[in-house]
Amino acid sequence: MTDTPTDSPWARLTEASVGYDGKAVLAGLTLALRRGEFTAVVGENGSGKTTLLKTLAGILPVVAGRVELTGTGGTLPVIGYVPQRDSLDAVWPLSAYEVALMGTYGRLAIGRTFTDAERRLTRECLAQTGAADLERKPFSVLSGGQKQRVLIARALATVPEVLLLDEPTAGIDPEATRAVMELLSRLHHERPLTILMVNHDLPLARRHATEVLRVADGQVRFESVGDLEGRR
Amino acid sequence: MNVFTEVLSPTFLLRDALYTSVVIGLACPVIGVFLVLRRMVFMGVALPQLSSTGVALALSLHALGHIHVEHGGLDEHSLAFVGALTFSILAVTALAFFEQRHVAWNEARVGAAYVLSAAASLLLLAKCPTAERGWLNLFKGEIIAISNSDLKLTVGTLAAVVFVLWIFRKEIILVSYDRELALTLRKRVFGWNLLLYLLIGLAISVAVIAVGPLVTFGFLLLPPMAVRPFAGTMRQFVVAASVLGGVVSVAGFVLAYQWDLPVGPTDVALLGIVCGVGHGVQWLRSRALSSR
Repeated sequence: MTDTPTDSPWARLTEASVGYDGKAVLAGLTLALRRGEFTAVVGENGSGKTTLLKTLAGILPVVAGRVELTGTGGTLPVIGYVPQRDSLDAVWPLSAYEVALMGTYGRLAIGRTFTDAERRLTRECLAQTGAADLERKPFSVLSGGQKQRVLIARALATVPEVLLLDEPTAGIDPEATRAVMELLSRLHHERPLTILMVNHDLPLARRHATEVLRVADGQVRFESVGDLEGRR
Repeated sequence: MNVFTEVLSPTFLLRDALYTSVVIGLACPVIGVFLVLRRMVFMGVALPQLSSTGVALALSLHALGHIHVEHGGLDEHSLAFVGALTFSILAVTALAFFEQRHVAWNEARVGAAYVLSAAASLLLLAKCPTAERGWLNLFKGEIIAISNSDLKLTVGTLAAVVFVLWIFRKEIILVSYDRELALTLRKRVFGWNLLLYLLIGLAISVAVIAVGPLVTFGFLLLPPMAVRPFAGTMRQFVVAASVLGGVVSVAGFVLAYQWDLPVGPTDVALLGIVCGVGHGVQWLRSRALSSR
């Protein structure tokens, strides 16, 4: 196994088209996403931000071209994925702890149950995101901000190299938004963790991200964080 | 109380029927939990119907002389089981395929499959009175006609289905609850969905042969619906639904025996009452909470 240089890209897209059911939403994308960055993907609703994120996460297959993902060990990177919280059905009777524990499933062999180490790690992740006191509560009754903390804890329980978040602050109050973004900034600096976050809140992206990827008119391009100031 | 002790006595004449009823009462809700949580309740109606169409086809072909049952080979009941299982497996495989392809109108397709299979059953049996009698008994849920071989088949199959569900619960819950997370963790979502559907198909085929589509659907759906408002975790949900199904199957049998009613519809009616009481309690609880 060869070690990958820490400044090499974790994702490289070459003439890639991303979309649903074989139909491209964004076409001809060529870009490299560097390790260690906190990237905000911004753009209008329906511009293709989430489609790009889901393709990078391996949820959607690439329609055309190439998407190469490289982890630090030269293998595929471990991805911690935080979906839009409303995508999870509230009918499921799962506690916050059970939801967070799902992050460890990727490391467990088929049919094997959790070890004490996995349970301990999950509790540590919940504590790290400030959700330790929520672990026994049903996930479906938590507030938007609380759910986001649990979902970030679940993503951390995968022991990720890259954290991908889909609109983590959509529909939550300003106080919870601030807390979630501060948590992400802290994780980015302390771990350190590569983060790619879809968000349409430009001021928020400017404040926390180290680089910005703008999706507009079927095109994707990097902007410096400072460029956003002029657009406000 | 005399009837209750008589029914529970090991020498009770209809003990095979009682045991089968209890096994179905315990196992079907465990499978039904996944139908309810994955919002595939309509599939829970359609699959028993499709299974019974498989039974109708097998019985008709047999009665019309297209399938010959030889001594020591398949008996009529085994033939019905093969028919039910074939139709169930074809249906669940098609469902998994459509889901994988994100084919729209999946619910409408299930509805169409239900109504077409019901019509096909009636047409198949219209010209075949012998097969029709057997099929109607099955459809009505005549549990008392169950033989010892039916009991063994039901216990063995349902125990295997519940065991496999238990072993792979982690994977099945993951792909059912959050398909996207499962994909990012590089799980084989199609394979796990197919396994779940095959287990559902197998369980429904066996249950339909033993107690008919009405009782099967009743035990699949009503216990999970009754206990869902009170369950805080998956384990509580599955255990409570299964225990409720088991208890109602015994109580239903006792009541049917005492009042000379058909067992299947009595079980379903009792489940309906429990479900109504559960939702009433939940409604009162939410009113009390909102008035605080």
